[in-house]
Amino acid sequence: MLIELSGVSKIYNQGRANEVRALSGIDLTVEQGSMVCLKGPSGSGKSTLLAIIGCIFPPTSGRAAIAGRQLARLPDRFLTLHRRETIGFIFQRFNILPELTVLENITLPLLPLGVAPKERKLRAQELLERFGITHRALFPAGQISGGELQRVAIARALINNQPIILADEPTAHLDTTLSREFMEIMLQLKEAGKTIVIASHDPLVFEHPAIDRTVTIKDGRIHVP
Amino acid sequence: MAQANLEKQLNILDYALSSLWRRRLKSLSVLLVFAAVIFLLASFQMVTQALSDKAKQVLVHTPEITLQKMSAGRQEGIPLAYRDKLAGIFGIRRVVPRIWGYYFDEVRLANYTVMGMAVDEMPEGNRLDAALAKGAMPGPDEQGRVVVGHSISKALDLAGRNTFSLFRPDLSLKPFAISGEFSRDTDILTNDLIVMNLADARDLFGTPNGLVTDLCVYVANPKEIDTIAKKISEALPSVRVLTRPQIQKTYQVVFGWRSGFGSICLLSALAAFVILAWDKASGLSPEERREIAILKVLGWETSDILAVRFWESVIVSGLACIVGMTAAYIHVVYFAAALFRPVLMGWSVLRPELHLLPRLAVGDILLIFAFTVIPYLAATVIPAWRSATVPADSALGG
Repeated sequence: MLIELSGVSKIYNQGRANEVRALSGIDLTVEQGSMVCLKGPSGSGKSTLLAIIGCIFPPTSGRAAIAGRQLARLPDRFLTLHRRETIGFIFQRFNILPELTVLENITLPLLPLGVAPKERKLRAQELLERFGITHRALFPAGQISGGELQRVAIARALINNQPIILADEPTAHLDTTLSREFMEIMLQLKEAGKTIVIASHDPLVFEHPAIDRTVTIKDGRIHVP
Repeated sequence: MAQANLEKQLNILDYALSSLWRRRLKSLSVLLVFAAVIFLLASFQMVTQALSDKAKQVLVHTPEITLQKMSAGRQEGIPLAYRDKLAGIFGIRRVVPRIWGYYFDEVRLANYTVMGMAVDEMPEGNRLDAALAKGAMPGPDEQGRVVVGHSISKALDLAGRNTFSLFRPDLSLKPFAISGEFSRDTDILTNDLIVMNLADARDLFGTPNGLVTDLCVYVANPKEIDTIAKKISEALPSVRVLTRPQIQKTYQVVFGWRSGFGSICLLSALAAFVILAWDKASGLSPEERREIAILKVLGWETSDILAVRFWESVIVSGLACIVGMTAAYIHVVYFAAALFRPVLMGWSVLRPELHLLPRLAVGDILLIFAFTVIPYLAATVIPAWRSATVPADSALGG
């Protein structure tokens, strides 16, 4: 199993007046090469669960093992290092930095890894060609269309060839055509062996045939209908 | 490993440069204000140091001991006969009389310093010619001949002539002919100076026979200046004894005080700038928070983001330092510190047009660096810690 969560809970501001229990007793396993959708309304805990799988922070309690590493035992710095090597992120609204060029945005994850400029450019060129946006390479990201932006975000998540792709509400601000196009790309990545977890409450995503399993989250717990 | 680390730092530096370029208007304005503060501080430092050096260099040629008669705390004429009282003090090489005073030119509203010297009596008096750009010092028999400083010859505006006249106390005119001009290297002391022989100065100021303004004492061994000065004080209790080191020290104190006063004003400006930089660096715009959160999710560590902020500050402060110090050097060398001349040159109407060449000592550069770049780095990098710890998950969940 590439992702293994057992009895995972997350409490924000523990012990303070503003304590919030975001997740309770989550058990979840995701096999390598599969695509899982985390479904649920806003505030249900999808993003928190995605953050734990994405090694952004460890759970408050329970066991979380991502690509063979127990997160609870990892200090903050090692969480970051593990995230760099393991997780590719696609954000809601894509979180592309509009003043940077498309090429600079795609290569952002490679900078702290000490990858030389020539190598960075080579890797980015490959992805730009794969997603048909080579002609936009030197455009400021703020000047390209929504569809191109989506492909830039996916290219950025793949630049370091991480085995796990996490997408947080990726279609929330896309029209139907672009949402379908996004899911087609996800299918191709899955077929290429990537493990994909998407947090979404968009039927176009969780009803897509490429999704192997949909997990419903409600009030911080996995909801079994 | 080391190669990857170096490459990583280069990548971060590259990102810092692009980040500065993206906010170029803001970066440029910070750089310019900072460069202006450094320019003022460095100019002050350079001009003070150059003036002190120049004064020290020129004062080497002054008498080792100068004697002035004091009465009721004020200077008055010293009798030439006092020379006889000094005859018994061992180590005195020669005692040379001098008459000097100020002459106010009502036409040009300028003060001239007039000095009557017995050049022929001075040991190595012939070496004074080395301080001249042209001509020679007036001899004892050359009546009405003077050597003038650069500003005097400019102020008199003789239009090709070399003669001019000054008023005696009884308002009769005394004619003079210029026989030489001081070298520009000695401007700090000779700029407003008119040198003539003793008899002419006595005539111009109406000084009674047998009296002079001061007596210049030359000693055989400069190491014995203090001992001889003490013996003179004992022999002539009513005489003020000024040694060359004391005069040099006075110059240092005068320039040091003026420089210190100016520096305090400028350091206040620097402090205000640093506080502003601190304030700016501690506040984060929503765009900056978002950028940091995105970078952290993408695998950037807090230390990487701090490194970006550090490089940004190093680039801004380093460039400001180079620009400020270069501008200060040009200001001092090519514009003779025009901005600070009223503060540093004192009251003289004829201010020297100095050609200063600051000695760029490593210590001075480090001092300016320590007072400018380091506070700026501290003011920007320390609060950047707060911004670098923006939680990565704030980039998630819209």
